[in-house]
Amino acid sequence: MSVRDVDVRGEPAPGKYRWSGSTGRRPALPAAVRLALWPVLLVVGYLAPVLLGGSDRIYATMVLIAIFAIMSYGIDIVLSYLGEVSLGHTLFWAGGAYVTAVFSVKYGWGPLPALLAAIAVVTVLAVVLGLATNRTREFVFSLVTYAAAVIGLTVVSNNAFLGGSDGLVGVPLLALPAVGGEYVARSNAELWPIAFVLLVLVIAVIARFRRSRLGATALMTQMNPDLATTLGVDVRRIRVLVFVLSAPIAGLAGWLYAYQRSYVSPDLLSAYFLLFMLTAVILPGRRLLLGPLVGAAILTTQQQLFSFGGDADKIVLGGLLAAVLLLSPDGLVGIWRAVVRRLARGRASRPEPAAEPGAS
Amino acid sequence: MKLLDQLVNGLALGAGYALLAVGWTVLLGAARLVNFAHGQLYMLGAFVTWVATSALGVPYLLAIPIALVAVGVLGLLMQLAMTRLVLEQNIVSLMLVTLAFGYLIQGGAALVFGGNPQRIPSPFTGENLAVGSARFTQQDALIIIAALALYAATYYVLSRTNIGRIVRGVAEDPRLAQLYGINAARVYLGVFVFAALSAALAGAIIGPRSPILTSIGFEEVIITFLVVVLGGIGSILGGLITGLGLGVFVAVFGAYFPPAYSMAAAFAVLLIVLVVRPEGLKIR
Repeated sequence: MSVRDVDVRGEPAPGKYRWSGSTGRRPALPAAVRLALWPVLLVVGYLAPVLLGGSDRIYATMVLIAIFAIMSYGIDIVLSYLGEVSLGHTLFWAGGAYVTAVFSVKYGWGPLPALLAAIAVVTVLAVVLGLATNRTREFVFSLVTYAAAVIGLTVVSNNAFLGGSDGLVGVPLLALPAVGGEYVARSNAELWPIAFVLLVLVIAVIARFRRSRLGATALMTQMNPDLATTLGVDVRRIRVLVFVLSAPIAGLAGWLYAYQRSYVSPDLLSAYFLLFMLTAVILPGRRLLLGPLVGAAILTTQQQLFSFGGDADKIVLGGLLAAVLLLSPDGLVGIWRAVVRRLARGRASRPEPAAEPGAS
Repeated sequence: MKLLDQLVNGLALGAGYALLAVGWTVLLGAARLVNFAHGQLYMLGAFVTWVATSALGVPYLLAIPIALVAVGVLGLLMQLAMTRLVLEQNIVSLMLVTLAFGYLIQGGAALVFGGNPQRIPSPFTGENLAVGSARFTQQDALIIIAALALYAATYYVLSRTNIGRIVRGVAEDPRLAQLYGINAARVYLGVFVFAALSAALAGAIIGPRSPILTSIGFEEVIITFLVVVLGGIGSILGGLITGLGLGVFVAVFGAYFPPAYSMAAAFAVLLIVLVVRPEGLKIR
């Protein structure tokens, strides 16, 4: 019997979060196999659009999956590791897209300066919102961040400089400096390598964050704030740091989306993207490295390739999030684990065969 | 006398805000529950009233109870689906589930009621009343009367009656309350349905003031948040005062600046209050 069977998941105190996580769980595969799996995953991932037929529709879907996955990784840091439900992350996502559109359409900036500007603006926004909400408790934090996003929507829809409710059109093609001239992404197929590389980079950052001191401390402040304080952790500081760290990731996604869609409009701040990023994290299960990617892939595939129309898709998205939370708060992984556990128990109750050599 | 006009207008507006928020105040303060679909229930209250009056020809005053029943039943179903989360007091999951329900309701309403702005025909919107030079409609008076009556009744029930004691007991410690033979699940159900009913009432009464869209819930709920957080979580009196104050603020602000930014300005006030006084304006 291994450590896995003695899952430390006692009765949590009322009012505390009860999101059981995967960290600290013994990996199912040996380290060497896992290490070898990553390059395979990378190659298969990169070739996925070709393997799926390589049509423009497939490429568009894949690029959107990458963009929405990056967007979801932003909120993932706060939701999974800090344990706070930020309902204001559409601000950073839309902020990244709007800054990019403003500077490239109105001032003719290139993609890289626009990216720097987008990240700078979004980070400042996150610092302000993070500091202002720093003393608020769990649901008040959510109320205020939600209010911030909706207020952002009304301001953007009415601001003439930002294009009002029509938004800004005419974001130029994404052109990056490359060996021997520049690489211009004229189609979704040409955008795919950029989107893919950025997605891989973001996942690498998240993987690094999970192993970092900040990540571990954030998890500790979520699971036992009192213990964290006792150990000398400044809980408020950690909260602001993680919140601010998450903003540029969402902003990066917004930057890429502005080029992919070639226009920005206030719908970036709508409930749709908020529900999307929350569902992308929660549906597969919180605190999984590839969770938001899987979630974004499921949702984007449904909406791009199997759509029932705008309003019906709202019902699908809302219904999916509600169903997951009501039926299996740990997401699809929770269901999977329950099945595995039941199977394991079934096997254990059967009379064991004669000693298997080599079985641990 | 522009200021007087705005003051009267603001009081009507603010009474509407207060009416919208009272259910949330009770929900959060007395039961420690949240409902992010509150704005969508408000929207649904308005739209059921519209369907009853316009399509079915029911008189306005009779359409209000129809809207209440329809939204009340929906609230009941929502709460029944969430019973486990509610008994665990898992506020984070409740927040997300109700947010999802709200989005679902909005999508469903758009399918059923269509995407066009609609007007609820009310016999009270045409008649003008006046205080000095400030004019207002009977509908405005109805909103103010309804808000004051509902707040008075809520305050009385929560602080002076046995029902109020039970609700407060469950809010304080659900498990201990159950030891005393109180069915906590039923108390939560009652409070949640009350909140849904008050949202529907607000929708039915405030709705006729302006054209309604199925997307209004998304923004209406922000007013609720502002009132609840600024008024001090769960404070009934604070909610009423903040609601009225917010209405006057929005009306006066809208008279001198672009009205589209009045909610943003109110939100800026909230951020400052949160930094200076995180517990809101509650006086204990």
